[in-house]
Amino acid sequence: MSITLEQVTKRYQGQPVVNDVSLTVAEGEFFVLLGPSGSGKSTLLRAIAGLVDIDDGTIALHGSDVTHVGARQRGVGFVFQHYALFRHLTIADNIEFALRVRRMKAADRRERRKELLKLVALEGMDERLPAQLSGGQQQRVAVARALAHKPQVLLLDEPFGALDAKIREELRWTIRRVQRELGITTVLVTHDQEEAFALADRIGVMNLGRLLEVGAPRDLYARPTTRFVATFLGAANLLLALQGAEGIRLGTTPVDATVRTPALTGREHEVVTVLRPEEVEMAAEREQLTTSYMGRATVEELQFTGALERLRLKLLDNQHAVQTTGNGAEGRIEATRLQSERRAMPLAVGAVVALGARRMHVLPTPLSSFSIHAADEAAAQLLAQAPLLETLAGRMKTRVATCADASDGAPNARPGVAVIEGSDGAALRAVQLLRAGANEVLLLSPSTTLPEQICMFWLDDAARHATMAVTASLLRHLPAEAVCVATAPAGRRDAKRANALRALLDARSEARAAHALETRTELVPGEGPQALGEYLAGLSAPLLVLGTADITTAEAALGALLARRPGMPVLVVYRESAR
Amino acid sequence: MTRIILILVSLLFLSALLFAPLAVVFASAFENGLGAWFQSFTDSDTGAAIRLTLLTAAIVVPLNTLFGVCAAWCIAKFEFPGKSMLITLIDLPMAVSPVVSGLIYVLLFGAQGWFGAWLQEHDISIIFAVPGIVIATMFVTFPYVARELIPLMQQLGNDEEEAAITLGAGGWFTFFHVTLPRIRWGLLYGVILCNARAMGEFGAVSVVSGHIRGLTNTMPLHIEALYQDYSMSGAFAVASLLSLLAVVTLIIKTLLEWRMGVHHR
Repeated sequence: MSITLEQVTKRYQGQPVVNDVSLTVAEGEFFVLLGPSGSGKSTLLRAIAGLVDIDDGTIALHGSDVTHVGARQRGVGFVFQHYALFRHLTIADNIEFALRVRRMKAADRRERRKELLKLVALEGMDERLPAQLSGGQQQRVAVARALAHKPQVLLLDEPFGALDAKIREELRWTIRRVQRELGITTVLVTHDQEEAFALADRIGVMNLGRLLEVGAPRDLYARPTTRFVATFLGAANLLLALQGAEGIRLGTTPVDATVRTPALTGREHEVVTVLRPEEVEMAAEREQLTTSYMGRATVEELQFTGALERLRLKLLDNQHAVQTTGNGAEGRIEATRLQSERRAMPLAVGAVVALGARRMHVLPTPLSSFSIHAADEAAAQLLAQAPLLETLAGRMKTRVATCADASDGAPNARPGVAVIEGSDGAALRAVQLLRAGANEVLLLSPSTTLPEQICMFWLDDAARHATMAVTASLLRHLPAEAVCVATAPAGRRDAKRANALRALLDARSEARAAHALETRTELVPGEGPQALGEYLAGLSAPLLVLGTADITTAEAALGALLARRPGMPVLVVYRESAR
Repeated sequence: MTRIILILVSLLFLSALLFAPLAVVFASAFENGLGAWFQSFTDSDTGAAIRLTLLTAAIVVPLNTLFGVCAAWCIAKFEFPGKSMLITLIDLPMAVSPVVSGLIYVLLFGAQGWFGAWLQEHDISIIFAVPGIVIATMFVTFPYVARELIPLMQQLGNDEEEAAITLGAGGWFTFFHVTLPRIRWGLLYGVILCNARAMGEFGAVSVVSGHIRGLTNTMPLHIEALYQDYSMSGAFAVASLLSLLAVVTLIIKTLLEWRMGVHHR
């Protein structure tokens, strides 16, 4: 393996900007780190080069640990966004810089320089100054300079950022060709998904300092596992659908969808599906559709973009069942079609069409949307404004529905995570909701802020997988520390303690392998929920993810925990144990 | 019309306040001919004053250049606690009256000062001796190089240095081959300002020097001494030399400004 990162963390003033990133880049691979600005991708690249010290984790290049080796000794080739050519030196001197540092003979230097200038197609430019070259040419010189000392790794930090579209495209070809010719392991950082698709063997998508998903461009586009990747890589309509034993349905209409993960539980539950704009089919009538019918819609907006026509449609019926998220407006669907399709059925703003979905992909994320259950609308609104819920829903780009329950009767579970106020009697209400069909219940108060630690704990092993999945999903949206907690009686019974420890470490590696979730582990002395309560009481701002497969034990545990630390946010994850 | 009036007023002010005194200095200096002018410098006290001024500048300017580069580097490239405090401190000599600057050192190193007794015991004289003059001049000219470099280095950023390091260059190699060429014009500009002030400083030096002719009189102090002695021709001759240095400095400064403008484009 050419580059190996293990649990790399970098903090600025206590805030992690790169959070627990583990990654391996193979020999000769072209890897693209993609993410919005501020996602930590540049910091990670600079950490690989040694320009930034990391706080935790290890970095290895070609099998040798270079975590504490300076940038100078790492000897990687680095290309900066703004070229960083030595402005007072000629192109020749720029390219020969690394060779002069290494005291290479003048004749050898000249030979290598000619070779490199040929590689980047800039022969004869030797005696010019950087200022006499165009931006694209300067960046090609920067690439040549970074390759002069034959580094085994080439790192490029947004190399096309400062260039205009045409030159960008041209330089993209140059870099791909150079990389192929030399077979050099390359990591490129960009925020441009088109660039990532064009260049990468594999893409790693980063957000909020975490590396969310890694995969080949095609796979990431067709089968993303997170909302962020689904919407960041190309446009996407995120639709809330229901998954049951018979398959996926949008409202009342069954649809074809690729489902990678089997149904979470036997009960019908809400899932998030990805519908790419190009997979939306449009026809005048429902009968003319060749794919699953989604509903009728009016054309709200039309955009000509050259090869494609972009449409924004508003669903007319099925609107409440099909809750769209992702593009900011509920009930709106984004679609694109080819010019040939446009000619076959010209549409104008205001036209009504029947929509079909050619292909949908179900995200394996366990958290779909939120439904607040409160005594009245006002209380529900208050709860909806809790900073934790507002941030979470905003980042998940999902719906927060409110419903007032009759105060005497048992609540009706709605799709998604049920949200209730964590006041007196909350344990009972949570249990009622679980019995009524909810799979997750979130307990919080209107003043609950973002947690600093997300602790996961399961009362039954059957709920372990789901607890981890939910925690991993939360951590993609909240920059908190993940802690995997287990309890073991303190004292002499060493065998029991060792077992608990082993289970904890197994859980940790499972979290890492199955959910790409890096966790800290904490073995708390004591028995069950009481010990857990003591541990949580010592944390600054915890959020507990409590997994259970048995509703009765959950009620007791929840009651004990809330009594020990009232007002603490708890997300109860219930999965019926498979019998 | 208004423009012409404004220009005329400015020119009038300039000639009254700047050109006229300069003209008077040179006219008075050469009143008795070139021979008399040269004659003035044969005086041993005058020679000593010129040598002392040059010596002070020769010590102070390199030291302050070194300090200025280090301070500017720290401020421009690193984040550390007390950074804004350091920036304020660098500006202090500009804000404090030169006389006060001189007095500080008298209070520190003078016979009645904090370290006075200790210095006397060890037979070290700072006040009313050359070391005092050097220290006071150094204090007064502290900010010039650093002030010039800080904004320049902040604007240039770190990219080229980082590039050099990834290419395998060490700290010194990077400084001499990458950083120094980038800041050379700004640095030279700062050095020239620092030098001009070091040679022309009167207030702070006056307090610590003790005015011992031939020993602790720098050029500005010597001019005053000659003037007090009614040795007008001598005073104006030395003054013209000092003014000449100032004019040359200004010309170099203008050239540098023009050069920097070219460099930045």
